[in-house]
Amino acid sequence: MSVQETVRDIVIKIVRKPDIDFTPTTTFKDLNADSLDIVQILVALEDTYDIEIQDEDLQEVTDMGGFIAYIERKVAEKG
Amino acid sequence: MGNEMSLRGKVALVTGGSRGIGRAIALKLAAEGSDVIINYFRKRSAAELTAQEARDKGVTAHVIKANLGEPEKIDNMFNEIAAKFGRLDILINNAASGVARSALDLDTRGWDWTMDVNAKAFLLCAQRAVKLMKNGGKMVTISSLGSRLAWPIYTAVGVSKAALEALTRYLAIELAPMGICVNGVAAGAVETEALKMYTEGQDLPQLSWRTTPAGRMIQPEDIANVVAFLCSDESAMIRGQIIVIDGGLSLTSVGYAAKKDDEGGRLGES
Repeated sequence: MSVQETVRDIVIKIVRKPDIDFTPTTTFKDLNADSLDIVQILVALEDTYDIEIQDEDLQEVTDMGGFIAYIERKVAEKG
Repeated sequence: MGNEMSLRGKVALVTGGSRGIGRAIALKLAAEGSDVIINYFRKRSAAELTAQEARDKGVTAHVIKANLGEPEKIDNMFNEIAAKFGRLDILINNAASGVARSALDLDTRGWDWTMDVNAKAFLLCAQRAVKLMKNGGKMVTISSLGSRLAWPIYTAVGVSKAALEALTRYLAIELAPMGICVNGVAAGAVETEALKMYTEGQDLPQLSWRTTPAGRMIQPEDIANVVAFLCSDESAMIRGQIIVIDGGLSLTSVGYAAKKDDEGGRLGES
């Protein structure tokens, strides 16, 4: 499964919106994700890929496209 | 506690020990000679850094990742402690999390998350820790003045801390015959990263030190010093107490704060 698919599955499961139209321009606000959702998404991805996500890095991430790109970068850095 | 290393040879677990108050406690206990186990939730690099700083003080330091909101992760953590150290002398219940919302905006998910990490986790950790404290021990919980004062968007955390304080008292009595001392500390606004979450857009840190009788913000080391004392034998007859560490702030009134602010300095310095 690609990083993109994994991120999509984890996000949709945690925000409990299986029918949402998940696109690169979808934002956390569109998903109605609260701070607890976001923490749980980050923890799930950290556990899945054994990576450490810096919260401050995400301040510049505006949508799912950017979020996926960031996770792909972290996974690649880990090798 | 003087210059002697009063905790030499002890084994201490500090939950949420990688950053902020937990980090300061882990390093203080290490400075007093205790081996430290640093539990963390997400920031392994920060936990490793704290562990290395502890090792530099001549003790053994070990890091364990565990989300304390999940009972099975707590079990795994204690299984690892039992396998690696075989015992535990000190449990510092410091890890905390919480949803920053007003009471009317809280949902059950945010409530449960906050209560699980801040209150239930101590019960589960204490139950497991007792089995490793065969020669007695110390437990110290880190609470907050939000357990008794009402702060904006602090509802869930404040209530969870009130539960934590009550549990501290119950365990203090129940565990006293086993030679285990249980106490807590309740701090005012401590200058940490976590504080920013509740003060975004406010002037709280500046306001706090301006209105604190002691004249400055509380630092993590202020908490660590009291916790280390509660972990020492010198505090053996203190049981089930919550020591307030706030520079005297909670004893003052809004009128006092305004008067002091008008005077433009610390009371008593004119």
